Amino acid sequence: MPIKFGGDFQVPRAPEEVYDFLTDPNKFAPLLPDFQEMAVQDERHFEVKVNVGISYIKGTAEMKMELAEASRPQRARYKGQGKVAGGNISLTAGFDLVAAGGGTKVAWQGEAQIFGRLMSVAGGLLEPLGRKNVQKLIDGLIVALR
Amino acid sequence: MGSDGAGWVGKGLARKEDNRLLRGRGKFIDDIRLHDMLYLKFVRSPYAHARVTSLDTAAAEALPGVICTLTGAEIAHQTNPFIEIGPDPFARIAELVQVDYESLEVVVDGEEALKASVLLHEEAGTNRVWRGTFEYGDIEKAFREAAHIVRIDKMHFHRFSSTPLENNAVIGQWDAKDEHIYYWCNNSFPSFAMQFIAAHLGTPIDRIRVQTFDIGGSFGIKITSYPQMSVCALASKKAGGRPVKWIETRSEHNVSSAHGNERTFRDTRVALDKDGVIMAIDSRHIDDCGAYPRYEPLGCVIWAQVFPGVYRFRNARIDFSQAVTNKCPVGPNRGYSRMQHLWFLERVVDICAHQLGIPPDEMRLRNYIRPEEFPYTTPNGCVYDSGNYPKMLQVAKERIDWEDWKKKQAMARAEGRWLGIGIGTTLDSGTNNFGQSQIVNPHAPFSGNSQGANCKLDIYGEVVVAVGSCPQGQGHETTAAQVVADVLNIHPDMVTVRTGFDTERNVHTGASGTYASQFAVSGLSAVHGAARKLKSEMKQLAAFLLKTGEENLEFGMGQQGPQIRAKDTGSSVNYWQLANVVNVNSAVLPEELYELTLNCRYVWRAPFKVPDKEKKYGSLTLTYASQLHIAVVEIDRDTFIPHILEYVAVDDCGKVINPPIVEGQVYGATAHGIGAALMERCVYDAVGNMLTATFSDYTPITAVNIPNVRYAHMETPSPHSYNGAKGMGEGGAAPIHTISAALQDALFSSGIVVSDSFNNADTLYRAMVAKDIYQAGDLVKMEKRA
Repeated sequence: MPIKFGGDFQVPRAPEEVYDFLTDPNKFAPLLPDFQEMAVQDERHFEVKVNVGISYIKGTAEMKMELAEASRPQRARYKGQGKVAGGNISLTAGFDLVAAGGGTKVAWQGEAQIFGRLMSVAGGLLEPLGRKNVQKLIDGLIVALR
Repeated sequence: MGSDGAGWVGKGLARKEDNRLLRGRGKFIDDIRLHDMLYLKFVRSPYAHARVTSLDTAAAEALPGVICTLTGAEIAHQTNPFIEIGPDPFARIAELVQVDYESLEVVVDGEEALKASVLLHEEAGTNRVWRGTFEYGDIEKAFREAAHIVRIDKMHFHRFSSTPLENNAVIGQWDAKDEHIYYWCNNSFPSFAMQFIAAHLGTPIDRIRVQTFDIGGSFGIKITSYPQMSVCALASKKAGGRPVKWIETRSEHNVSSAHGNERTFRDTRVALDKDGVIMAIDSRHIDDCGAYPRYEPLGCVIWAQVFPGVYRFRNARIDFSQAVTNKCPVGPNRGYSRMQHLWFLERVVDICAHQLGIPPDEMRLRNYIRPEEFPYTTPNGCVYDSGNYPKMLQVAKERIDWEDWKKKQAMARAEGRWLGIGIGTTLDSGTNNFGQSQIVNPHAPFSGNSQGANCKLDIYGEVVVAVGSCPQGQGHETTAAQVVADVLNIHPDMVTVRTGFDTERNVHTGASGTYASQFAVSGLSAVHGAARKLKSEMKQLAAFLLKTGEENLEFGMGQQGPQIRAKDTGSSVNYWQLANVVNVNSAVLPEELYELTLNCRYVWRAPFKVPDKEKKYGSLTLTYASQLHIAVVEIDRDTFIPHILEYVAVDDCGKVINPPIVEGQVYGATAHGIGAALMERCVYDAVGNMLTATFSDYTPITAVNIPNVRYAHMETPSPHSYNGAKGMGEGGAAPIHTISAALQDALFSSGIVVSDSFNNADTLYRAMVAKDIYQAGDLVKMEKRA
């Protein structure tokens, strides 16, 4: 079953600034937890590597990311597919931006689906780990967009 | 068989193989190290259903120590497909290393698969593997005349597997020097595997040598390793003929070896008379065979070996379909395709009994085939050889102290405790007729059954026996020695039985192997035949050497070991002398004895006919061992954990060759069945990930989970085997039926009908608290006729 995440946060910057930050891989990707490196293919595609450690499965996840929806300054949505030791990952992450209180209210939703042995051997650990890492990403975004 | 008479058959002789196995001197595949041997690793798709969009093996091949890679495309180029439906199975599992996939929609439910909204094998155009209606008697008349009609909406037999200590293992070598393919493996049906592999690789079957050694359990699962065996040979070919070993990991085994068939039973109607006697059953069954029919669709008809179970009803219609789903392929699993049907029938009997207010033991007695009706021809033409089910029930009740437990149950219920007593009656049909394959495929070139054996006096006079079986703990060395010892009137220790299967012993037939509960019948019949041939030759030779008539000879032991003695003079000849004359001192032989070899091969053939393919009618199995179990189970009202308080297993496998071996197999089958009923289940999520790929999640039963099992034995000798024995060992999954029955007995008064074969604290909580499963009002309807 897919793991679903969601929430919202408020930042003091204008929606255009927030949108530009979220859709710039060079700014957005390094905030991913355990970020290793990134290669940008074009303005909508980039590949990112992050460290992964789930139980005894340790290694690097290589994610191919695509900016699937880009509607400045209201909405940005990423789709990604990647490989990690023992499995594959598909994910989506969307951000809806609304001007609020002199800044921007960001409503975000994400969904991750794990395939393969990783799910078999570490299925129970994935959801809490995912929530922890998503929270790290959101915390990073809030700090970066102050 | 009057001249057999030393009396070793039937004795509890200690197993000959245990001395070797218990001292760690067994020889298993991973004990074998060959010169220049390489190791094979499969890269498996993380997706249950996907299309390979790109493949790059360069990085893997650049690794130090990697000799080569082998891709699905390479395999497809060098082979013929195993099966006509769907692509080559290897294409999905042998893609190596850097693989990009396009994930596709999955279907993990057999009923959903039949809707074909997602197709697994697009070129087939359907997910339905096979469909057939098995109809006998006059169904509609029975329903018209019924006093009661019980309808059961849905029942489900879950997916579980076997967990042998030793996983699948093979060493394959494609030797260009002598143009042979050599296998050292633990496949449990090698003569069958060879037929697939030879056609798949385009190799004459005589160029394939297969050897098995000690095998650490199979339970049927190891029949389906022929795809991996082919890959090992192709990898060896690409690696220049170096031997290639593949040892399956535990999680690989759990995810991709084979599981037992999962089956859903829909729209069941049962017609009963006023006394609860079943007049007819009408039902629709959907079998889920996983992603590829590796051993299928044989399972679509195998269950019909036990079409009416142990019951007398003559009118029945089963609409049977099999579907592919994105799960592990199925295969034999402590029995093949029958336990599902037997569980279904036991559920029908219990549900009807409770609905009609008839005690389940009484319900069974009213419906059992009667002892005087054997040999009993079932509605679909199978011939049950012998049995006495009412007596088994009586024995089991006595062993468990039924009346006392009924009193305790009444007291427990008065205290609000959930305590149930369940009965499971089941069959272990052995020595199958491969002609049943023609019911699903009229062009299948298989029918009957056979087994070969060789019995010889070696050059120094040692009695050596070889059989085409490949035992995995069933004690074939011991029981074969007992049979030969009886024929020759010597001690079983003087009989050497070769371990395992070897094509170059030239013993096997196309049906040789160890499967389908049959060695006591097919294997020992072959051994017996070979031993008698040898005895006949020895007699002729001894008569010549002792200058007497054959009728004046007796076999036995002398001062120099085994001998043949002239009764009147007392002169004798020992086995060394006999072997010497035939093998290395043959100038003394007269010409009329030149044909003697003292090396006698015998092929036993089961007396089957090809079944009627249209009517789906005929004898599908030779012997029918039976089992009757009773369990007392209490469900903890706080934790919902079911506890087995008492358990009895009564087994009837006809004439027993070796009682401790039979008893051991009963305990093993009982443990496996209890595990399946309460602990072991293959769980998949909605996208086809198997969530129980490790033992920590699959939780196979262990010694600490097995209750004390009271054991009792009955013997109703089979008229279908020379020795009165029936094949046994699979056990008919009696504990699954029995525990389902006990749980329902505990909870029926709370409105619960157990409709799934797997039950644990979670399912019982859902039934009793969440009430989203097992609600009798949703599942069962009863119509009482005027």
